[in-house]
Amino acid sequence: MAPTFRTLERQQQAVVPSRTGTQFPKLAKLAAPHIDSFNALFAGTTPAASSGAAALPSGPGLLERAVGDVGSRVVFDGQRDAPLADRNKLELWLSGITVAKPSIDAAKGALSNVMYPAECRERGVSYKAKMQIRLNWRINGGPIQTEARNLGSLPIMVRSSKCNLYGKSPYELVQHHEDAEEFGGYFISNGIERLVRLLIVPRRNHPTAIVRPSFQNRGPTYTKFGVSIRSVRPDQTSQTVTMHYCSDGAVTLRFSYRKNEYMVPVILVLRALCDASDREIFERITMGMYSNTFLTDRVELLLRSFRRYAVFSRKQALSYLGSKFAVMLDSPEDAFEEDVGREFLRKIILVHLNDAKSKFDLIIFMLQKLYSLVAGDCAQDNPDSLQFQETLLAGHLFVGIIKEKLGDYLDAIKTQINTDLRRSASTVNFSDKKYMQRVFARCSGAADIGKKLEYFLATGNLVSNTGLDLQQVSGYTIVGEKLNFYRYISHFRSIHRGSFFAELKTTTVRKLLPESWGFLCPVHTPDGAPCGLLNHLSHKCEIMLDQIDVSHIPQLVASLGAGQISGQGPRVAAAVPDSDRGHSDAMDVDGDDYGDDDNDDDAEHGDQDGVVADAGAELRNRKKVLVSVQLDGRVIGWCRDSVAQRIAQTLRDWKVRQLHRVPATLEIGYVPPTRGGQYPGLFLFSSPARMVRPVRYLATGGTDYVGPFEQVYMNVACMNEDVVPGLTTHQEFDPTDMLSVVANMTPFSDFNQSPRNMYQCQMGKQSMGTPAQNLFHRTDNKLYRLQTGQSPIVRPNAHNDYGLDGYPNGMNAVVCVISYTGYDMEDASIIAKSSYERGYGYGTIYKGEWVDLAEHRRRGEPITHHFGFVAAGETETTLSEKALTRALQFIDLDGLPIVGVRLTQGDPMYAYVDDVTGKVYIKDYKGMEDAYVDQVRLIGSDSGDQELQKIHIRLRIPRPPIIGDKFSSRHGQKGVISQKWPSIDMPFSESGIIPDVIINPHAFPSRMTIGMFVESLAGKAGALHGHSQDATPFRFNENHAAADFFGEELAKAGFNYHGNEPMYSGITGQEFKADIYIGVVYYQRLRHMVSDKYQVRTTGPVHNLTQQPVKGRKRAGGIRFGEMERDSLLAHGVSFLLKDRLMNCSDYSQCHVCRLCGSILSPMQRRLGVAGETLDATVPSGGAAAATTASDPASAGRVVECMTCGTSRGIEVIAIPYVFRYLCTELVAMNIKLRLDIAHRA
Amino acid sequence: MDATAFAQETGPTITLLEVKDSPETRSVSFILSKTDLATANALRRVMIAEVPTMAIDLVEFESNTSVLTDEFLAHRLGLIPLNSEQVGTITYTRECSCQQYCPQCSVELHLNVRCTEDHTREVTTRDLVSSHTSIAPVLNGPNDRGILIAKLRKGQEINLRCIAKKGTAKEHAKWSPCAGVAFEYDPHNRLRHTTYWIEDDVKSEWPVSANGRFEPEVAEDEPFDYNAKPEAFYMTVEGTGALDPKEIVTTGLRILQAKLSLVQLLLKEIAEERGAVARPPMNGFH
Repeated sequence: MAPTFRTLERQQQAVVPSRTGTQFPKLAKLAAPHIDSFNALFAGTTPAASSGAAALPSGPGLLERAVGDVGSRVVFDGQRDAPLADRNKLELWLSGITVAKPSIDAAKGALSNVMYPAECRERGVSYKAKMQIRLNWRINGGPIQTEARNLGSLPIMVRSSKCNLYGKSPYELVQHHEDAEEFGGYFISNGIERLVRLLIVPRRNHPTAIVRPSFQNRGPTYTKFGVSIRSVRPDQTSQTVTMHYCSDGAVTLRFSYRKNEYMVPVILVLRALCDASDREIFERITMGMYSNTFLTDRVELLLRSFRRYAVFSRKQALSYLGSKFAVMLDSPEDAFEEDVGREFLRKIILVHLNDAKSKFDLIIFMLQKLYSLVAGDCAQDNPDSLQFQETLLAGHLFVGIIKEKLGDYLDAIKTQINTDLRRSASTVNFSDKKYMQRVFARCSGAADIGKKLEYFLATGNLVSNTGLDLQQVSGYTIVGEKLNFYRYISHFRSIHRGSFFAELKTTTVRKLLPESWGFLCPVHTPDGAPCGLLNHLSHKCEIMLDQIDVSHIPQLVASLGAGQISGQGPRVAAAVPDSDRGHSDAMDVDGDDYGDDDNDDDAEHGDQDGVVADAGAELRNRKKVLVSVQLDGRVIGWCRDSVAQRIAQTLRDWKVRQLHRVPATLEIGYVPPTRGGQYPGLFLFSSPARMVRPVRYLATGGTDYVGPFEQVYMNVACMNEDVVPGLTTHQEFDPTDMLSVVANMTPFSDFNQSPRNMYQCQMGKQSMGTPAQNLFHRTDNKLYRLQTGQSPIVRPNAHNDYGLDGYPNGMNAVVCVISYTGYDMEDASIIAKSSYERGYGYGTIYKGEWVDLAEHRRRGEPITHHFGFVAAGETETTLSEKALTRALQFIDLDGLPIVGVRLTQGDPMYAYVDDVTGKVYIKDYKGMEDAYVDQVRLIGSDSGDQELQKIHIRLRIPRPPIIGDKFSSRHGQKGVISQKWPSIDMPFSESGIIPDVIINPHAFPSRMTIGMFVESLAGKAGALHGHSQDATPFRFNENHAAADFFGEELAKAGFNYHGNEPMYSGITGQEFKADIYIGVVYYQRLRHMVSDKYQVRTTGPVHNLTQQPVKGRKRAGGIRFGEMERDSLLAHGVSFLLKDRLMNCSDYSQCHVCRLCGSILSPMQRRLGVAGETLDATVPSGGAAAATTASDPASAGRVVECMTCGTSRGIEVIAIPYVFRYLCTELVAMNIKLRLDIAHRA
Repeated sequence: MDATAFAQETGPTITLLEVKDSPETRSVSFILSKTDLATANALRRVMIAEVPTMAIDLVEFESNTSVLTDEFLAHRLGLIPLNSEQVGTITYTRECSCQQYCPQCSVELHLNVRCTEDHTREVTTRDLVSSHTSIAPVLNGPNDRGILIAKLRKGQEINLRCIAKKGTAKEHAKWSPCAGVAFEYDPHNRLRHTTYWIEDDVKSEWPVSANGRFEPEVAEDEPFDYNAKPEAFYMTVEGTGALDPKEIVTTGLRILQAKLSLVQLLLKEIAEERGAVARPPMNGFH
């Protein structure tokens, strides 16, 4: 059955929105990464977009965890130098953060104080909810005292679990003035929708081998080698630690804390973590590979080089660390050094792990990886590859900010108390409730975390003293522009590499790497500056946010054969017994599919290495390779590589089959040992913020969620013919899975040259369309709308899946490819005048304007300004009759514009009156174009009992297409309208069809947008048969060609198979020599319109210093005729034109010059003083002085004289550019005289 | 111009093929023969762009609380076909002696709808009340619900006054009486005016149009007559409903005739001014 337009279905949905759930689950999931991450802040919410994983039953929210991790602050009273025992100790800490739902503050007598997003948008306020925390303190370890403190209002993400729209059905959403398919994911900041952009950050809890020459700048002996790990705490805040290799054999750990960098010898940390002897550390790092002299030498050197610290036991190490870092950590004055050392390890070193042994194990692993990197045994990891990346999400960023600000709050209290102590220690009394209250009250500024978050949202600037382990300070948030729906959607799917990389001169970070296949769209990235840095998620890519339960995975892995390294004893490869290998039912099943591992993987590795002379020896060594098994950056076992491979396969099988409670989104990255490749190991990831995507697991046909780390080592076929039996384990569900939502909307994109699809991704987002359905309740500054939008005849499946028929973005046009009038050169296109008259491409711009009379007074002062014409207490207006009559044509008596009235520049738009002066202010409409008053929105205060002070005026500017407006098809074929051609002169087909649009055939050969031809064909067939056409890419192939499929449909309708038709000239009626390609193509009207761009000027404002025309379109300025243009005229020798441009049309001026002294500055005008004083007779008759006096009656009785020569004899009038005079004056200021030699032309 | 103008070659002929007059289609198909291409095309052009009809040209809004904007609603109203059988009795406003418009040059229509029910009220052309007996929105019988203009929900209303004027599609497409004019000559491409793009075989890839039956097929060995001119023109005129298609054709012919006679008249005047000596030879006319 041919696909239909589902017109009736859609009509039904529009009239009666569903009361149960969304019609378009895919659309509803678009903003899932944003919403789920925000929901993760709060306890007891299971993510909406959980991908079938076993979510933890309502664990504590991230906020709760963060609050717990903030820790306590300790202050002592009394004199600083007094013994601690004599001083009172005050401990402060926070607990129990609560966030309410958005509500209106002072709703007296209101029916409901529930605040909905639509109200915020319409009133221009922020959507936020009260946040509270318990501040606890105790004195000298006594009873705990508690007080609830307000933290201000937390901005709430729309449709998150704290939003009042949470879980609402389309019907209810419409009731609350939202689109039926509103998917949320943004914040409302002062009425503007803003969202936190997804950012790419290094993959958490995975040691990454990095070779970076800049490491050498860290200090002497530092080399370019390093292993870096971004550890993430359970509350999603992170701490990066980098291990550096120094040429003298030392290895240091570098971290940054509160924007300061610190280095610690790695052995010191190892020693502090575990009471291991030098020998044990040696054995653990070398793991019995004594033959590897490179390694043993380095480790020996490492251990030897540390001896100078004379730290031999764990206790000593902890004390040493404690003594060095007590100040940095701002630890309590009474804390023992050893405890500070422990605190240091807890807060800084590998914070994703909570026990010392795991940290020790992981540091050992990092050391091994580092030495392997230095030795060249393994390659560096590419930090620009998606394999080593994950995302930073709105919720996680929020936790980080809130956590930091909570810490700052406690610090502020501590600082306040210390200040009090310094000023007068006697006032400080911890047990005095009043004193404590005073301290808290003074710190209320630091407590208003909501305000700080609002600032963050409104500006995107991160004000932080820790830096939050992030690389940028600004650009975190963007406006969710509703220019059209495509653009709106892509905001939520866009993912940025970080603004740090935007300044980088190298382009390596911008590369499209194969690792990102299926996760980032290869097509959808902008041209120009952000190219490759601003990417978009593929439409099937999800971001994991569930806290999945992996507590049983270590046992599972152990049961499959991974061994433990008990104690610190050595473990040589030979010690791995074969019996360790697990045997399970699943393994037996695998046996057939994957063959015998023992033989297979060896051969495989041989392949990868290519032909090597000593391949045999390599392989023998390889056999003994021991690899580490890690789960979320915790070493959970060691085993032989073949065992690890088998574990990976088994786990994957269980994962897909949902056996042994292996979570469906567990990432199982088995990196096989290769010569000079990535460092081997089995790395399991269950953490949030990872990207995952569904692919089909061929063995069972089930869905496997694959991450970018493991994907590199998997065999995923794309099309059926790509499946290699015995090798391929997975297959794409659909080849279009790799494309983003917007890239999916390009019909037949697989037929186009690839850059054209990129252009379309940009232009689709620039087209006028239908930005929203709740237009009536929107207050955007600027909104573009296409009045006559249509559902495309030719549309990919994704168009239906995402419900984009609700947001039409263009119109179906009959397009004729012919060079007809000569007005269609260089991508210009011609539209039929009658099509234009029937509404083709008719658009509208809505412009919003806020008027707030409260800006005229200070906060808290009584109201002095009112809308209207009559001041309070008066009976009559102070306005003149004439002005009032004029104003009342546009403004009602209430001072507000009349809805529907047409405003031209300078027309009155609204009026208000000042009580104090009684003066009526009439504000004019300032726009250049005529506009209609579309809406006037009266905005009240929170309490709703205040007089009207704020309004929002929405103006409507009609924008029918005019010559110069930009249109494009969906294939990156843009062009401007050059003519509205009379329909009778347009070419026509035998059936009398007159094309809406004519485009030039030259638009095709070089651009190769075959997709547009196919669309034309499909559109024509669809229009003839009355059904829509599926334009999903990759549906056709050589054996099943699109041209044939649609050709047959056309032939069935009695048309030519190839889409051509004989056509006739509308002017002569003669049949064209060639048959013409004509069909139906969906056209977008782009927002670039001449009305916004044209710049013409004959005369106009000039700069008052230079008398030259001003610049800028807004100021009616001119376009600069610059040096290169001047050169061009010079080259042509058109001197008259040159003078016309540079002088006559610019700053032509006349001035007096004294022929005698050559100055243009000295001639001055002087009134003829004495009656009867006449002009100097010696002035030549044609001279200037005579001319001015004679011809200009205003200057009658005046004479121009040279002030230096004291006579008017030499005065002449010459024409000069005005700036020349300015130049002369400036030179004079520098004591330079400019002399002009004046002579009459012969 | 008198009727004998074309007499020399027995004059152009119209052979009526088919007249469709159903609510779905109102069209007339005919063969125009024994004339040249220019004349045939001129007829096509005149029918599309110069046959006058009535259409709403001015809209005065009293109130519009519907979701559609004023200008959008006005545009929709303009495109509604009005029954223009009586268009002959109306003068063009520009030729009328009145100041702005008057009953001689315009027809007033009113639309005053308010939704008071709970369900959506559809405003259609049935709600447009004309002050003229016959110039009113086209309706196909009593069961026709009319063309949808707008939809109103409870409490919304549209109250407006429309002024329909006489005009031609040269000015705006809303005055065109034609939905489409099919035009074809030489269905077998005997004249070789066009070159078909073919992959393999012309016959299979280029289906001959229905009009092919009126002309003999081109024989394989038929010599090409490079002097041949197109003679028969197959046209189908489909109306919007404003005018009967037959009416469109006859009016079109009349207008074409009037234009030609005007040319002739003016030429004559020029000739007389020059003293009737050098009368330019005119093909077919003298």
